[in-house]
Amino acid sequence: MNLRNFYMVIFVALLVLSILFIAGGAGQEEKTISIARERNVLYLFNWNNYIAPDTIKRFEQSCNCELSQDYYSDNEEMLAKLAAGATGYDLIVPTGNAMDSLIRQGALKPLNKSLLPNLKNINPIYLNTAFDPENKYSVPYAYTLTLLGFNRKKMQDLGLPTNTWAIIFEPKYLEKIKGRVTVLDSQRELMSAALKYLGYSVNDTDEEHWNQAKKMIIRAKPYWTAFSNTSYIRELAVGNLWVAHGYSNDMFQAALDAKRTGRKFTIDYSTPKEGGVLALDSMVLHQSGVRPDLAHQFINFMLDGKNSAELTNLIGSGNPNMDAMKAIHPDIIRNKAIFPDKKILARLEMLQDLDRNRRRLLSRLWTEIKLR
Amino acid sequence: MAKWLVSGPPILFLLVFFVVPSLIMIVTSFRFPGEFGGLAPLVAPAGEVGGEYGLTLEAYQFFLSNSLYAEIFLKSFGVAAATTLICLIMAYPLALLIASSEKRFRNLMLLLVLLPFASNFLIRIYAWMIILGPESVLSHFLNTILGVFGIAPLTLLFSPFAVLVGMVYVHLPFMVLPLCTNLEKHDLALLDAAQDLGASSWQCFWRITWPLSLPGVFAGSALVFIPVLGMFAVPEMLGGTGDILIGNLIKDQFLGTRDWPFGSTLSIMLTLAVLSIAGLATWFARQSGGMKYAE
Repeated sequence: MNLRNFYMVIFVALLVLSILFIAGGAGQEEKTISIARERNVLYLFNWNNYIAPDTIKRFEQSCNCELSQDYYSDNEEMLAKLAAGATGYDLIVPTGNAMDSLIRQGALKPLNKSLLPNLKNINPIYLNTAFDPENKYSVPYAYTLTLLGFNRKKMQDLGLPTNTWAIIFEPKYLEKIKGRVTVLDSQRELMSAALKYLGYSVNDTDEEHWNQAKKMIIRAKPYWTAFSNTSYIRELAVGNLWVAHGYSNDMFQAALDAKRTGRKFTIDYSTPKEGGVLALDSMVLHQSGVRPDLAHQFINFMLDGKNSAELTNLIGSGNPNMDAMKAIHPDIIRNKAIFPDKKILARLEMLQDLDRNRRRLLSRLWTEIKLR
Repeated sequence: MAKWLVSGPPILFLLVFFVVPSLIMIVTSFRFPGEFGGLAPLVAPAGEVGGEYGLTLEAYQFFLSNSLYAEIFLKSFGVAAATTLICLIMAYPLALLIASSEKRFRNLMLLLVLLPFASNFLIRIYAWMIILGPESVLSHFLNTILGVFGIAPLTLLFSPFAVLVGMVYVHLPFMVLPLCTNLEKHDLALLDAAQDLGASSWQCFWRITWPLSLPGVFAGSALVFIPVLGMFAVPEMLGGTGDILIGNLIKDQFLGTRDWPFGSTLSIMLTLAVLSIAGLATWFARQSGGMKYAE
């Protein structure tokens, strides 16, 4: 056999192996389902870093089962994976608008509230949302605000305001911080900030208002250094960035990092006075799950104040659980960017899902924003 | 018979994993997007009148309704062409060096070219984010020198420059390898003969080495140009506020917008553009006679 034929044989062997492997993968799903039934495994489709390791350990001990997690980093990713056919998840933790779309698709199982005695711990203002009246399908888990994080020292030195969206949209302020600003790489979030600054609702779908927002964004864009969804955490903490549009728990992380590495500045964050987006994430049961018993057990476990507080202490997430307050670090409770007072709360809105034509239109505006 | 036994599985593989998905993509581009992502059903559910079901040219109309998309295509082709050219200029001398060295060094050098593949692509891009960042040693050094001449400090990261650096870095080995494979097969006697007949070393290169290496140049260019066109991670991580390429746009349609038909339309347009460029290039190479050395 000459060398070329030898390589050919190896190549073919690899191909056959990979085909077998893929074919094996197809049977995988059935197998996991039967394994889940036999061995106590709860499949959770969750955000990255959205449950404390200690909490997992205690839950696994209390239920005598295993918690298996898959992760997503935004709702669109999660919905896209489900739309592409991902299955086998008992529990998902979507944000309101994504949950809305899951409910309307009929992809969720209703809850059995008799199994959730700890539901009484949830602050009523986070129940009965427009997405799920009477909480037939969902139990609030944690929430995040979209706001502005900033380098306090720099902002003081430059005499810039920190309580308004104007700082990322008005050229007169941006001039002083050119190249030191990032905004979220998210069509809905950036549009919401712009709409709020213009005095509209984040769920406004009037094309004229969208165009106004687009013009304002394009005017401000030359001053921004990038659209960033995660790297702003590190860049703020090391001092490369002075202002970032981002999520409250990420800002919590940035502030902590700056403090721990002994920087000469502090990272602060606050909700702009015009208001912003409140993203309430809830636990829901997916139709494809095979262990609703364990799922209910998990929800009730997470509704326990101590367990719920652990997440807030770890990542600085907002917490809708009244029983958790006593176990949360007092510094975090005092932080209005994490626990907004009534006045701020009144100006926050939850995002609603857009219909397909609006999504396409927004995508075109977004492309235009990026290209111009 | 034996020929078919051996080549059967790869042909089957291509049929199953290239032709079938492409057909699915073509059909998808003629359908309506589903309300929650995915696709709207082909047939209206019983009892529903009107609504958007069946096949449509809507996605193509949307593509043509605005010059925006053509601009992104042009821009992406520009970036891909620039990346290919820079890779070629950087890879050619390196490939010449490797091909002309002794065998044991040659293998070592080839190994070094391949070494970056040993670590994950995203980690290497993150490394570039540190190297190019505003507080990096490189940025400080560069801006101190620029400062001496009174030039305003430059930001390297989050710029078209950073995107180009990332693209070239990631794709350079794909240019070096085919060039090496080609160059090491050259018959050195040709160069000796040319020199004996009085050719300068420059003439030797231009009239012998370069034309003979054209197949390697074409192969390397294709291996760089085409992946760069579809790349979305590099502009997303290293790019600034204006660095959007077709790859990013297509990815957005499937994740952010959940608009499969339009995403498929964009992908088909991209495939058509790549195929027509490849076709044109082959035709051009034939016309100019460049390939006659290769065959």
